Amino acid sequence: MITRRSLSRRELAAGLAGLFASACDTPRRAPGEVAFWFSYGGNNRKVLLELVARFNREQSAVRVLPTFQGDYFEGLVKLRTGLFVAAVPTVTHVVGEVLPYLAEAGVLEPLDEIGDDVVADLEPSLSQRGTFDGAAPHPLWALPFNRSTPIAFFNRPLFDSLGLSPPRTWAELRDVADRARVEGDRARWGFECPVDWWFWTALVGQAGGGLVERGALTLGGEAGVRALELWQRMVHEDRTMRPPPGRDFNAWEASNGDFLAGRAAMIWTSTAFVRYLEDNASFAVGAAPLPGDVRRAVPTGGTFFVMPRGLPPAEREAGRAFLRWMMAPAQASEWARRTGYMPVTTRARGELEASGFFREHPNFRVAVDQLEVAQRWPWSASLFRTQREAVQPRLEAAVARKEDARAVLAAARAASEAP
Amino acid sequence: MSLRPTRAWHPYAMLAPTVIVLGLFFLLPLALAFHQSFHAWDLLTPPRPVGLANYRALWASGELVEIAARTLGYGVLVVSFSLSFGLGLALLLDREGRLYAFVRGAVFSAYVVSWVAVALLWLWLLDPQSGLVARAARGVGLPGVDWLGDPDLVLFTLAGVTVWKITGYAMVCFLAGLQDIPRSVLEAAALDGATPWLRFRRIVWPLLRPTAAFVGTTSLILSFQAFDVVRVMTQGGPVRASTIFVYAIYEQVFVNLRVGRASALTVVFFVMLVGLTALQLRVWQKRSNGRVET
Repeated sequence: MITRRSLSRRELAAGLAGLFASACDTPRRAPGEVAFWFSYGGNNRKVLLELVARFNREQSAVRVLPTFQGDYFEGLVKLRTGLFVAAVPTVTHVVGEVLPYLAEAGVLEPLDEIGDDVVADLEPSLSQRGTFDGAAPHPLWALPFNRSTPIAFFNRPLFDSLGLSPPRTWAELRDVADRARVEGDRARWGFECPVDWWFWTALVGQAGGGLVERGALTLGGEAGVRALELWQRMVHEDRTMRPPPGRDFNAWEASNGDFLAGRAAMIWTSTAFVRYLEDNASFAVGAAPLPGDVRRAVPTGGTFFVMPRGLPPAEREAGRAFLRWMMAPAQASEWARRTGYMPVTTRARGELEASGFFREHPNFRVAVDQLEVAQRWPWSASLFRTQREAVQPRLEAAVARKEDARAVLAAARAASEAP
Repeated sequence: MSLRPTRAWHPYAMLAPTVIVLGLFFLLPLALAFHQSFHAWDLLTPPRPVGLANYRALWASGELVEIAARTLGYGVLVVSFSLSFGLGLALLLDREGRLYAFVRGAVFSAYVVSWVAVALLWLWLLDPQSGLVARAARGVGLPGVDWLGDPDLVLFTLAGVTVWKITGYAMVCFLAGLQDIPRSVLEAAALDGATPWLRFRRIVWPLLRPTAAFVGTTSLILSFQAFDVVRVMTQGGPVRASTIFVYAIYEQVFVNLRVGRASALTVVFFVMLVGLTALQLRVWQKRSNGRVET
């Protein structure tokens, strides 16, 4: 029994210190447990959780514990905080733009030990080396998971009734958007696209530019200006494009919602939504590649699997076992088939081709075919900051207030280069 | 009975829980924020000392002034409208009867609903295409208004939603204040021929002033703490037109990965709040001094 006298002040202090220490300590996981942080909602989350449950059923050595961590950016915040307090998951997934930043900060575990067969099977343009310029000398920090490109979705019966085809050039885009628009009480926008860095990057590429040119950050130079001016023209002069409200994925959800409700005849969004839009539209959904200007171009998007550095060897091996299973053709093709993301290995793609899936579901094929014009991101630790802090907030202001595109991009370049 | 403690350390032991909680969750974070505001840090790589660069960057970009002006503007809107509507409703509903009790309950009910639920509800109501407000406007031939998409309008919209939510609280405070005023005084004034307006100006309002000061202060604090409504409804946009202080701090840390810049904003926000509190104390002090002299 603890008497009043026996609980000295020193013991009390030691007890409190122990309490704080245990609260701040790295969580210890049972042998074979893999903590997996993910960032999906809706159908994609359901498919992922079913895959994880199957993995857990099929074997008993490794048990994956999936935890939802909000959208990509919320998930990233939690990962950074977790890294700071050494309370990290075994495996998580991050957007491509943030990968060089995390790798250069030294917080990732190389994944080369995943096995040569897995690495050799990766779809070249979706792997780390194919996604980034200048990534070749680096270790394998990441494995492609849900990879995408932006594509166009259109209301097929509406397009048929108006005699319209998906646009192949910027001029056709403006024309089609104008012809599909309806004003008045039952208003319908001809075109809707989140005013987002990803789609702007696509336009920059189509106008013949790149974010980094001859080793310098140009944000596309004149091509960047033309890309921004196309949106400004469609919003303010043609009045055919609706810039959806909200930031980040709120805007994406808004444009999906407008498309499904018949308030937008055509939208640009990720191939990730093929299954969602097909399942939820009351009309036949058409998908088409993005149009070109001086050339055709799209960025790739989506996320990569990564493993934080500093985990015990056994936990790393358990994590790799899960990743190997996810990369196997059966899982990689099922993930693509049930969501709309692209198959990330050549064998998974081969399975989908051989089974006739792409023939029966041509909308799923659009992004895969578009890979031939996919552009690489620069391998730069500041890419993420350029996106989130310098360019993204300025795009919204430039389109909403029709600010001078040249001045906006000059300010974005200056902000991106600021320490 | 003596108030002298039996042991010299007893008062310190009594104070310890408060001091520990305040120190851990208020003073220590504030000191850390102050320290971090002179560093560039992204939580992953080691912090680099940058002197006053964070403050200079916030000042030079005009961001600091814009955010402070927006926050103050939002605060003024929220305080003035919640005070006026709360007082108006209290005066209207300070009557007996089931209907009045029901309306009082209905008005107050918004206050107990969570901020996120309120924000989601209004997001739906204000949708420019399918929202109830837009449909009603179209029904009577009014043009559609993009309440959350227009940069010139969005702060007013968010203030409106906040006022809608907290007016019930102001009303309840004023009702309590009204019920403290002796009915006999009002009846005597009425018998003396004082009009309702005169009774309000000369009796009710002077006696309600402490309540108004309390409601004003709490609504101001609440408006300065606003975050959920911005996060859910606008994410600071469009064009940063609804980026007020707490959201700006969140954005610097969690979107831009700039802990130093966020800490500098926190320090400025703290100084601004200390300044406002000092101003408010001064005004109250002057008023109470004046009352003693008369």
